[in-house]
Amino acid sequence: MTDLSGDERRAVEAQLFRLADDEYVIAERYTEWQIYAPTLESDLALANVAQDEFGHARLWYDLLQDDFDYTEEEVLWRRDPGAFTHATLTELAFADDGWGDAVVRGYLYDTAERLRLEALVDSSYAPIADRVGKVLDEEGYHREYAESWLERLASTDAEGRVQAAVERLFPHALTLFAPGPDEDLIRDYGIRTESLADLREEWLDTVVPTLDSLGFTVPDPEDVALPDARGRDGTHTDDWYDLHEAFTSTHRELDFDRPTRLRGEEA
Amino acid sequence: MIWEVFRQEKPGDYHKHCGNVHAPDREMAKLFAQIQHGRRMQTKSLWVVPQEEIGEVDDEDTEFGGTTDKAYRWAMTYNNIDASFQKEVAESEEDQREAAEAAEADR
Repeated sequence: MTDLSGDERRAVEAQLFRLADDEYVIAERYTEWQIYAPTLESDLALANVAQDEFGHARLWYDLLQDDFDYTEEEVLWRRDPGAFTHATLTELAFADDGWGDAVVRGYLYDTAERLRLEALVDSSYAPIADRVGKVLDEEGYHREYAESWLERLASTDAEGRVQAAVERLFPHALTLFAPGPDEDLIRDYGIRTESLADLREEWLDTVVPTLDSLGFTVPDPEDVALPDARGRDGTHTDDWYDLHEAFTSTHRELDFDRPTRLRGEEA
Repeated sequence: MIWEVFRQEKPGDYHKHCGNVHAPDREMAKLFAQIQHGRRMQTKSLWVVPQEEIGEVDDEDTEFGGTTDKAYRWAMTYNNIDASFQKEVAESEEDQREAAEAAEADR
């Protein structure tokens, strides 16, 4: 337990939930590709990325439990779906012909993820700063993998589907940088050392030229209307409620006293 | 396209063949190999090699080591030096040392 003041504690919790929820929900979506990805190898690689993201979510949810006295049920299994603050990019169901969707989503997400983690390296909240390096080390592969696929899908028959995915996902990707209600506190207490506006600019400076050079057309960010559901403020698309229902169903049906942990998981 | 994968555990070790991956090119082969062959075991480095680039010769093509008795190649007897031979070796080494010292002194 920490002895943070009320406001500072709110700031740390808000940042941790943004981190944990993004990682958990995108991993939940990635796992849908198991046995369906284009080749066995690509299936294993994406499953491995999903495992990494689950691991990162675990890292942040554990910190909420260790330092702020939450239970695992409170942060995940029995939490109100309207209390989750992940970006809507992570929650959307895949389009029907969705491998291009998975590739584009991974690329947009992992690029933003690196920028955010780098802005947490010098977090005033030491337990966050301590854990960031570990996560960053694993994110390199994710980006390389997504970029590699993106290059291969450009100038192929799949190009049109990738373009459609870019158009569909781009507004939702912008919600990665949408503020939550405690954003000012996060900045005031130095929990994150860069503003969301700066992170958004840096992200655009990377993804727009990259997609452009591969022959894809990116909507002008100034003209893009953010989706009604922003994720960060607890508003979500219908896809989220379906996903939440699915991943919590086993826990509810089995009516455990508390979630089971793998042996050694808390080591 | 199939890429054969070779894994090295520690610096200085040989890369040992550990399986293969399907991949369209070298970059993807390296990405896939990391997950399939480098994730569960200690890994220092991986090589990926296009399967068709590997040359093979097998025991139907040739008689490895020839057909006549070449048991001397096994050279196992060096492991069993008896006491009298050990003495002989020690004396020989002593002679050589003295000869070397004498040659050094003459210079």
